Amino acid sequence: MLDRSIVEKVLKEAMSKGGDFGEIYVESRVVTNVFCEDNKIERIHSGYEKGAGIRVISEGNTAYAFTNDLSTNGLLNAARMAAHVARGSSRDITLDFTVRIPEQALEIRKPPAAVPFETKIEKVLAANEAAREAGDYIKQVTVGLADVEKKVLIANSLGDWIEDEITRVRFVVNVVAARDGLIQTGYDAIGGVAGWELLDEVPADELGRKSARRALLMLEARPCPAGRMPVVMSSEAGGTMVHEACGHGLEADLVQKGLSVYRGKLGQKVAASNVSVIDDATLKGKYGQLRFDDEGSRGQRTVLIDQGVLVGYMYDRLTAEKDQRVSTGNGRRESYQHKPIPRMTNTFIAPGPEDPGSIISNTPRGLLVRKMGGGQVNTTNGDFVFEVQEGYIIENGEIKYPVRGATLTGNGPEALKNIDMVGSDLGFAIGQCGKDGQGVPVSDAQPTIRIRQLTVGGTSL
Amino acid sequence: MKDRLLGVGNIVMEKARRKGLDAEVFLLYDKELSIEVVDGQVETLKEAEETGMGIRVINQGRLGFAYTTNLEESVLQEMLDRAVGSSRYTTVDENNMLPEGAFTYPPMETYDPAIRQATLEEKTAMAREVETVARAYDKRISVIERSGYEDSEYLLVIINTQGVEAVEKGAFCGLYAYLVAEEDGDAQTGFSLMARKHFGELNPREVGCEAARNAVRMLKGRTIPSQSIPCVLEPYVVTNFLGILSNSVNADSVQKGKSLFAGKVGEQVAASELVLVDDGVYEKGIASFPFDGEGVPAQRTVLMENGILKGFLYDSYTARKDGTTSTGNGVRSSFRSLPGVGTTNFFFSPGPTRPADLVRDISRGLYITEVMGMHTANPISGDFSVGAAGIMIEYGELTRPVRGITIAGNLKDFLLNIEGIGNDLRFFGGTGAPTLRLKALSIAGE
Repeated sequence: MLDRSIVEKVLKEAMSKGGDFGEIYVESRVVTNVFCEDNKIERIHSGYEKGAGIRVISEGNTAYAFTNDLSTNGLLNAARMAAHVARGSSRDITLDFTVRIPEQALEIRKPPAAVPFETKIEKVLAANEAAREAGDYIKQVTVGLADVEKKVLIANSLGDWIEDEITRVRFVVNVVAARDGLIQTGYDAIGGVAGWELLDEVPADELGRKSARRALLMLEARPCPAGRMPVVMSSEAGGTMVHEACGHGLEADLVQKGLSVYRGKLGQKVAASNVSVIDDATLKGKYGQLRFDDEGSRGQRTVLIDQGVLVGYMYDRLTAEKDQRVSTGNGRRESYQHKPIPRMTNTFIAPGPEDPGSIISNTPRGLLVRKMGGGQVNTTNGDFVFEVQEGYIIENGEIKYPVRGATLTGNGPEALKNIDMVGSDLGFAIGQCGKDGQGVPVSDAQPTIRIRQLTVGGTSL
Repeated sequence: MKDRLLGVGNIVMEKARRKGLDAEVFLLYDKELSIEVVDGQVETLKEAEETGMGIRVINQGRLGFAYTTNLEESVLQEMLDRAVGSSRYTTVDENNMLPEGAFTYPPMETYDPAIRQATLEEKTAMAREVETVARAYDKRISVIERSGYEDSEYLLVIINTQGVEAVEKGAFCGLYAYLVAEEDGDAQTGFSLMARKHFGELNPREVGCEAARNAVRMLKGRTIPSQSIPCVLEPYVVTNFLGILSNSVNADSVQKGKSLFAGKVGEQVAASELVLVDDGVYEKGIASFPFDGEGVPAQRTVLMENGILKGFLYDSYTARKDGTTSTGNGVRSSFRSLPGVGTTNFFFSPGPTRPADLVRDISRGLYITEVMGMHTANPISGDFSVGAAGIMIEYGELTRPVRGITIAGNLKDFLLNIEGIGNDLRFFGGTGAPTLRLKALSIAGE
């Protein structure tokens, strides 16, 4: 993407006032977005973007400058800005780059660029139609399709030279159903490090139908009762809970700043013995898959909680340095406009021994969550709240009736300690995870689990 | 820079005219600085410069769009072609029209040169003061998560083939602090933000103190039994609800059947004292600017008056669909996206009552200081069930902190149940509200 001689010049300029580490991150991306609403293709975006971010770290402090002027002059200007933070004497660095190549091949069978607009639009319309065929109560359907093909170059003052590329696709359906003044929504999404072959596995019309069914079901639902009760989370719910209630608190920057309930708890029991939590960037095709993270460390599998015991955190370069460890390959950024920070990739609770069906049949009374909505967590004290998109009341071990408007409130470590049954299945969900104003694609997963007690918020007291 | 952006814009317009296209260019130059301080040291210094262009075309009623960060003359034709290319597949819609100029824009002050003139050292000193003040406020302040200074200056150029030519620059600056207070193993967070158009109005002391006060007052909070009681909401909590409400007064949502206010203009939708306004020319507003993202002049739009729904917010497209005119709410987040209906300075007007008087005659209630997961509220049905924290009100006094609860209800009832409006209008970014008192909210606890 850039000549070695230019990269060398820029890195030397960035380190000209001292500093412990200098880096350039160059990115180019081509994106397509198709959006359908009100039965029509409303928008098609096509974008082309290029830019570079330059980072200098000096005694643990960071200066970051970015520009989309990729001329030698533009880059040198940015490098001079980044050199601001450095303390100490000027350094004349010698650079001898070692090229590091990806270990995994990406299997993109239908690259976005090779799929014509017409085909993408057909898929979007198919999802729209299938959802609308679900009945008269369906009032609105929106379908979004997005793909991105990204190339990056990462080079640093340690002599690393990494060129990588990644392709991601995403397909999202939202349905609004209404009856007698009651409005409910249904949602489904798929996405991955993949090409549009993804829609051969899960057809677009199927996604449309599923979303519509969910919205219609919630029209039938009764208001959710409020109070403390056992909660069974089906594997279909995906791993929103583990991502929010546990994952964020295990990101090393939050831990080091004292903003995590998991600080100082390495080696301690933080969850029930049947709970293991893993972050795995190497899961092929999953939305959070990485060959290299955004500072050139290889993506890897990191065990965070092993049978209830906290065994590790997720690190980027800077936080790893502070703890005298090596990066776990979790240094990610939204784009060249951001500095990398520790982030999750594909995060999940490992499957256990129980038959998922028997978890429900062994629950005398409680809430079954089949689809999670959004959520939020306060990592400092571990308090969380999640919305339940599709929930049911369990009575005498049987699924009785759907409920709407439920939310789950609780505390991360407390909830993890209260998991008393872990199923043998595993279900994934995709998401765009936000932190410090940066969004990155992630997936999360869990088996069917039961939490002994959680506060369920609802409108029915 | 202004000449460069105008030059690029006019070249694209010329190419579009030659092809007989209706087209618009949106050009943005943006420069940002952020200084984050930890323990008196600049932990992160970020400087950014960005230029980009979005091209919107309307090709026989079909909408096309393309964007790029590359403004070299050699690629301009290709970008225009890409935009036209994408228009081939969108649906014909007669309401796709570019606003027709030329407009006269309201005069306003959007750029304070003092922001640029202040040195990096002065700005860093301000960020440091926020941190120092916060730490000194109370010995239980244990961690300063982030505190710092930010500013941004930008130049916007919008030109279309229908006569619009809008050019203006703007700037704003701000301070913030996010921190933690700890006592006997209990940790609570607090934050404060201040955003201003004038550098001289920034007050580091206020930001540091408020963040610290917000954290300390929540220490050792406990849950309470499920119940339905009167609630008083701090302005920040109210602005969280406004975030959801903004969707309901958006003409796009209304036209697509996604608003709980569809068909309700002229009806009583809120308590009779409530006034809801979107004001793009509000003098002190951080979101005030002479024109919106498609070059339409900014204006003041009253959405609710005496609790009666007066109308909705429009961009050019939705306005044409409803046979009305744009309210100047064609908002654009960057050159990377098309304009869509959005808010400017969006707020509940202040009422007559001092906030303390809203609490005084409540024998048992909850003063809500925080809501969590507001984005999970359903903007379409109005149903919400969100995490919350606050302070118990007992016989008119704020007594003990409360956490680990959820509050639930529907936005319609929320608005009708307002029985007191504070005189303390306060803005968080472009969204503002006074303290509000509600007859009752359903609380789920233990």
